Amino acid sequence: MVRGTSNKMRLRLNIVIFLMAVAAMAVLIGRLFYIQIYEGEKWQGRAISQQMRAMQISAERGVIYDTNMKTLAASATVWDVIVSPAQLKGPEELELIADYLSELLEVDREKIIERGQRTYSYYEVIKSKVEKDIADEINAFILKHRLNSVNLVENTRRYYPYGSLASTVLGFTGSDNNGAYGLEAYYNKTLSGLPGVRTSAKNAKGADMDFLYEQRFEPQPGNSIVLTIDEAVQHIVEKHLEAAVVEHNVEARACAIVMDVNTGAILAMATKPDFDPNEPRVIADPHVAEQLAQLKLEVDENEYLKALGEAQFAQWRNKAISDPYEPGSVFKILTSAMALDLEVTKPTGNYFYCPGFHVVAGRRKACWKAAGHGSIDFTQAVKFSCNPAFMMLGERIGAENFYTYFDRFGLLSTTGIELPGEADSIFYSMDLLGKKSGEELASSAFGQTFKVTPIQLITAVSAAVNGGNLMEPYIVKQVIDANGNVVETTQPSVRRQVISAESSKTLAEILHKVVSDPDGSGRYAYVPGYRVGGKTGTSEKIDQSVDGVVKERISSFLGIAPSDDPQYAVLVMLDEPHLQNIYGSIIAAPVVGNIFKEILPYLGVEPHYTEKELQNLDVSTPQVTGGLVSDAQRQATAKGLKIRVVGEGDTVVRQVPASGQPIPRGSTIILYTQETEQSTTVTVPNVVGMSGAAANAAIVNAGLNIKVGGIDIDSVGSVAYSQTPYAGTVVEAGTVVTVLFTSTTPEAD
Amino acid sequence: MATKKRKKGSFLFVWGEMDYAFLLIVVVLMSIGLVMLFSASYANALYYMGDSLHYISRQVAFAVGGVICMLGISRINYRILKPLTLPIYGVTILLLILVLFMPPINGVRRWIPIPLIGTLQPSEVAKFALVLMYASYISVYHQKMHTFKYGLLPFGAILAPVVFLLLKEPHLSATVLMIGITGVMMFVGGTDYRWFLVAAGAAGVLIAVVIISPDIVRYAGGRVETWLDPFADPQGYGFQTIQSLYAIGSGGLTGAGIGGSRQKYLYLPEAQNDFIFAVVAEELGFIGSTLILCLFALLIWRGFVIAMRCRDRFGCMVAVGITAQVGIQTILNVAVVTNTVPNTGISLPFFSYGGTALLMLLCEMGVVLSVSRCSALEKE
Repeated sequence: MVRGTSNKMRLRLNIVIFLMAVAAMAVLIGRLFYIQIYEGEKWQGRAISQQMRAMQISAERGVIYDTNMKTLAASATVWDVIVSPAQLKGPEELELIADYLSELLEVDREKIIERGQRTYSYYEVIKSKVEKDIADEINAFILKHRLNSVNLVENTRRYYPYGSLASTVLGFTGSDNNGAYGLEAYYNKTLSGLPGVRTSAKNAKGADMDFLYEQRFEPQPGNSIVLTIDEAVQHIVEKHLEAAVVEHNVEARACAIVMDVNTGAILAMATKPDFDPNEPRVIADPHVAEQLAQLKLEVDENEYLKALGEAQFAQWRNKAISDPYEPGSVFKILTSAMALDLEVTKPTGNYFYCPGFHVVAGRRKACWKAAGHGSIDFTQAVKFSCNPAFMMLGERIGAENFYTYFDRFGLLSTTGIELPGEADSIFYSMDLLGKKSGEELASSAFGQTFKVTPIQLITAVSAAVNGGNLMEPYIVKQVIDANGNVVETTQPSVRRQVISAESSKTLAEILHKVVSDPDGSGRYAYVPGYRVGGKTGTSEKIDQSVDGVVKERISSFLGIAPSDDPQYAVLVMLDEPHLQNIYGSIIAAPVVGNIFKEILPYLGVEPHYTEKELQNLDVSTPQVTGGLVSDAQRQATAKGLKIRVVGEGDTVVRQVPASGQPIPRGSTIILYTQETEQSTTVTVPNVVGMSGAAANAAIVNAGLNIKVGGIDIDSVGSVAYSQTPYAGTVVEAGTVVTVLFTSTTPEAD
Repeated sequence: MATKKRKKGSFLFVWGEMDYAFLLIVVVLMSIGLVMLFSASYANALYYMGDSLHYISRQVAFAVGGVICMLGISRINYRILKPLTLPIYGVTILLLILVLFMPPINGVRRWIPIPLIGTLQPSEVAKFALVLMYASYISVYHQKMHTFKYGLLPFGAILAPVVFLLLKEPHLSATVLMIGITGVMMFVGGTDYRWFLVAAGAAGVLIAVVIISPDIVRYAGGRVETWLDPFADPQGYGFQTIQSLYAIGSGGLTGAGIGGSRQKYLYLPEAQNDFIFAVVAEELGFIGSTLILCLFALLIWRGFVIAMRCRDRFGCMVAVGITAQVGIQTILNVAVVTNTVPNTGISLPFFSYGGTALLMLLCEMGVVLSVSRCSALEKE
């Protein structure tokens, strides 16, 4: 046997044992202690931050209400359809799912297959935001086949129940449920609430390991906002504005604002054409949509997409706050306010001589009336919208005062309305305005060569007529939380007193005369029973002139009512109307008149009729449906109405107009006596430009009822300048056609 | 002689009592190793192999086979290895040459595919071959080993071709391991202290140089840099080390519990292999991982005690070599995982995934047990 270990070897073995089993191990245990105990928290923290995934749980977005708590925008739950390929049991299951989902969701089957083959993935969104009925179907499918690989994840979607109503004000939300435009964007933080968080562990490839760890922090629902916008007023405004856009072929869109002059609250704000916030990317204007469709065929993809994007931005734009324009003669309201406040003129007894021009810096600046207005007092100057008189007023006011008032009316800064994208005015510097030549001041005095936004203008005019207080306009009156508790209330805020209460009162009375006097330039805004005041304006788009010839105009009207105690202001601005009749220059006035006529009774303003108005007052159609024809005859006669019976029966089964409709005395009610009787339809004839008698004959002969309006119905030689429904519309026999008359050829101002 | 009284062995078999303490430690370590392998591997197995049992099922099969082999080999007289030493060494060299012609995996040629079993790492065989060569040599030339000619040169001659071939693969960690085994066996065998002092001095200078300017070593430069600061290259060289530190640090004192590791979810590369100890530390905490290190210390101690008790110098040196191999591998592995030394891919005995490696290891344990039987035999 070979000898075993020597003493020397034993010694060395013990050294090796010590080095390996004791010393080395001690070092390693020391290392472990250092990493796990001493530095443990540091490493653990870093590890957790890479392992944890925080998934947002979206908070329910707040509602946008109108002033009467009607819902203008709300969110509803929808579902995202998720396939998690990692949980597929096999290729057959994927086939089954792909077949089903591609059919139901109209998704490309190949795409589902392709994504389903990402077997490492737990989260492939096949379609987002599907509605409840689809989600229910998918749920049934999941249950039937006991699938783990298909999931529905809650999401939210924004709904706008009134469609395009106030769309440029409301804006819309993007696919991430964040506000992208309008109030939705401006109040995004308020509406969004605080998203909750679902924390779960994930593996290095990002997939959930939710069986290991999950924690939820519940989201806080967003607050809701209550607007000053009144859905009914907004609807009326949009109806008339839309009609005007169509009738006058308005090229560069039109806008309107209704403001409470005493508080600055916006009751309605509209731009037409606009869009449907439920489908914000769809071009709503059929003409533009058609042009785009044509363009798509002609140009390459990029160019088309660029044009589409521009069209989208154009239809989203809120003209009422974003587009400064030359206010034209409407601005004479403010020049008048300055003149009255400075007492450089008085309503009567202070005469201006208008020879048809005024000489400024050695050059003649023409009046719109070439023959001149002759000798007129201040009230007449406003009524006739006489430019030379206002140039003279400008001179009396002086550049410095003019600039100061301009500033104090809030026209040198944005109004601060709670909407994104508010533009500022474009005006002269004090130095430029005060130039010796006086040209700038002269043209400014009648509202040309500078630009303000519609919201700036109506806010300033409200100040001029409400007793002199410049209000801060606002559109959100309350913020309420998810439980209905009021979080915040907007208090009307006076920025400053610009003119005296006395000047303001005088101005309102003059403005009333502009509308109520038969020779006033604003008479087309007349509303029976109400004291409406206002001022027309036609401004030339000088910056768009071609070779010095102005091609495009802006027609606007700013009305106030009631003028003895102003409460509401309405501004209508039609950008580039393409005039179809000679009354084109005053087309904005009847729109304002129509709006006032409907909103004033709605807003509870009592009408006060004059004797003459009472004579022309409409009667309410009686309720005769269901009764005997003979009874109907008696009731109609009692009210001064005629009847026309259609059919052989004795009992009235239907009547046109329906009961409770205001129609002029002497109108005819069509009575249908047989259920089977087809209602008679007729085409509305065109009566614009006709005399009263001719218009009456045309409409009655067509089987329709006429209702006349305007201020000079009885005058000899009066002609119709506007009608609703418009010519060419197909309506039921007996329908009332409203025709507005005027006695004289309207002036361009 | 006393052996005449009762025949307890022959040239082929031994019947003496084996060292049950050593056997117990091996079985306990292997069992813990299998449990931890299952825990560490199932996320990777599920994700990459589609079957959470992919790694563990193979490993268990090899473990069962390995334990049978170990017990069988413990009955075989280790002395039959002595005449087989040179052939084994020869075959090893051939295998190390053969592996260089194998298709590379991840850019290195370390594995020879074998039908049914899987793959064979010639370096695993080489460790054992070297141990046998050194043991044979020392058993004959022990007395002369204090000289340069007998105590240094032959070891160099035996080691050189192996190291040369390993570096061709390349396989740095195996090379380091071979040098370590060689050092321990030379030391125990009787090589003069001076040479170790010289070697230690040279190693110290080398380490200092590398730390000061890591770029000198072309292949290992990045490793040294990330060793000094793993966050210098967090997505590259440093990634594995950082993920390992995240895992170990997350373990704290008591750990996340078995199965509780989060780092094994695809963050920690090689969670079932070289970096399994990081998962162990994360799941069992400082207490658990310290206990496991203590078990390894016990195994090392017990292996060297068996060597010490062996009356036969060849058997003694075989036990020293095998124990040193397991010990160095364990220490290096844990040192790498805890970023105590630069990252070299080295597996943890009884824990890391690798069927043939485990089989080989258990066979070696069988040899140590065979030596322990003989010791018991000689003692009587």
